[in-house]
Amino acid sequence: MRVMGCLDGTNAELIGYAVQMFTTSAPLTVALLAVIDEGPRKDLDRMRERFWRPPIHRKPVSKEIETAESASAEETLKAALAYAKGAETLVRQGRPELEIVNAAAEWKADVIVIGAHAEYGEPPRVGPHSVGHVARFVLDHAPCPVLLVRPLAREQFPINR
Amino acid sequence: MFLFFSLSEFWRTFLTSFIGVLTLVGIMTRPFRWTEAHIAMSGAGALLVLGLIRPTDAALTLLRDWNTFLFFLGMMGISAMAESSGLFDWLALHAARLAHRSAKRLFLNVFLLGTAITMIFSNDGTALILTPVVYVLVTKLRLPVLPYMFACTFIADTSSFLLPISNPLNIIVMSHYPLSLPTYLRLLFVPCVVVIAINYGIFFLLYRAQLKGTFQLERLPSADASVKHRAYFRYTLWMLALVAPSYVIASAFQFPLSAVAIVGAALLVAGALYWKRTTLQEAAKGISWSIFGFIAGMFIVVRAIEDTGLTVKFGNLLLRLSHGTSFGAVMVGTFGSAIGTNLINNVPMAVVMSSSLGSVQHAAPAIRNGFVAATIFGCDLGPNLTTVGSLATILWLLILRQRDVEVSGLDYFKVGVVVTPLMLFVGALVIWLLL
Repeated sequence: MRVMGCLDGTNAELIGYAVQMFTTSAPLTVALLAVIDEGPRKDLDRMRERFWRPPIHRKPVSKEIETAESASAEETLKAALAYAKGAETLVRQGRPELEIVNAAAEWKADVIVIGAHAEYGEPPRVGPHSVGHVARFVLDHAPCPVLLVRPLAREQFPINR
Repeated sequence: MFLFFSLSEFWRTFLTSFIGVLTLVGIMTRPFRWTEAHIAMSGAGALLVLGLIRPTDAALTLLRDWNTFLFFLGMMGISAMAESSGLFDWLALHAARLAHRSAKRLFLNVFLLGTAITMIFSNDGTALILTPVVYVLVTKLRLPVLPYMFACTFIADTSSFLLPISNPLNIIVMSHYPLSLPTYLRLLFVPCVVVIAINYGIFFLLYRAQLKGTFQLERLPSADASVKHRAYFRYTLWMLALVAPSYVIASAFQFPLSAVAIVGAALLVAGALYWKRTTLQEAAKGISWSIFGFIAGMFIVVRAIEDTGLTVKFGNLLLRLSHGTSFGAVMVGTFGSAIGTNLINNVPMAVVMSSSLGSVQHAAPAIRNGFVAATIFGCDLGPNLTTVGSLATILWLLILRQRDVEVSGLDYFKVGVVVTPLMLFVGALVIWLLL
């Protein structure tokens, strides 16, 4: 079975444990994917256009941006490798949602493991809008089954409505 | 050509406004990969060739606005030199250090830093130089990128009317309708502080969940590492410490602000040359020369439209809409300018408004000042509605989105559409109360 875990920089542990669930299905091949989001760079360019300036890639700061982005992707992968030893690592650049589904098709993934949304220290949330736009797009467009991973939030239950 | 033929008044007006509208539409849509400078200059060129504006009138228009051109030049020069000295990285690293590992505190510090940079370097400095620096910073710290990017891009506009130099548009409007420094501070600085507080408050509420975490300061290089040349860096700091108060003193005495900006830029370039941090060619590259073509073209096109009496009519319409009350003046001025900047972009709108306010000149002082302050306020803050790009870009993004693709630029619009009308209304209210 070929399992592809999608990292967002905050969910190494979650994805790592989820991938481990598949260990019974031998032979198991795991890939960890980190996507460098080109969104912020596009936003910077649009901002520059508003101020009548050429795109940012002509400026020296562009190099710093690239270095910081790839270092962050490397680190994200390294953190997840601690939970999924021997996994292949994939780095792509573009729009995360598109890169994930395209990478899954290219790599011939049998299942995509993805977090519901990035968590930056807030308590886990359940309910509407708890699946971010990247995960939602992947659920809609994946070429294979998708395992949606979320942190345990049993204390928020039962839901009374 | 038509200069040598007699052309009826109607056709003159029709042709001039047709070329004017064509120029504005061109600037918004940029056909054939033309730059905005090409389009504005073509519009001006067409008017000159067709004789719809006299060459002497065009030249006089440009000469009258020398302050604006020189200010743009000086402002871009100062920003470029300060950027090359590593000042912005140094400031951002200190903002991170002072945040004591709290994502929340860093968010506040980015807001404050953006405000300070906009105040001295004008909104270009924050939007174009600080934003990428902050993006690199939060990427290294592995914090959520979006809130910090939003903070930078929005604060660039929100704090751009703190001082007359915080936005070149203020200079364009005030070259035609000067406000004394105390009046300026009362009618614009105070509302600006209120609006900044609202901006921060709403953003903090919106992103509080994402800002709960902490960060490891060790991920960042030391602030001193960002200083590329110590002596030049110290010199830059000293020069800026001189330039900032000079701006305020110059505003107080109605002394041309462009002179301060040009002298400041020249001193910084001289220092950079002395320490061999730059060459003249490299310094010239830091300046976007096409902006001058763009503004010059816009000034000429709007002047031609002004000669047909259309902008006066527009000014009278604004005056009528305000019902002759100061409250009406502030509200009509604010929302008129804000809507206009989103339709035709802020520089053209500031030029159009400067030309239209002629009819307000002889109104009661409260109404005149109300209109002038509201114009600056609306033109400066209005772009926050569609922070990244113009309304045309946003519409394009909305069309893209219908094809089931999530578009990042839209996030800015979603926030802007909530925050901006509120800030415009409260700010206008404060201006009116202080009139």
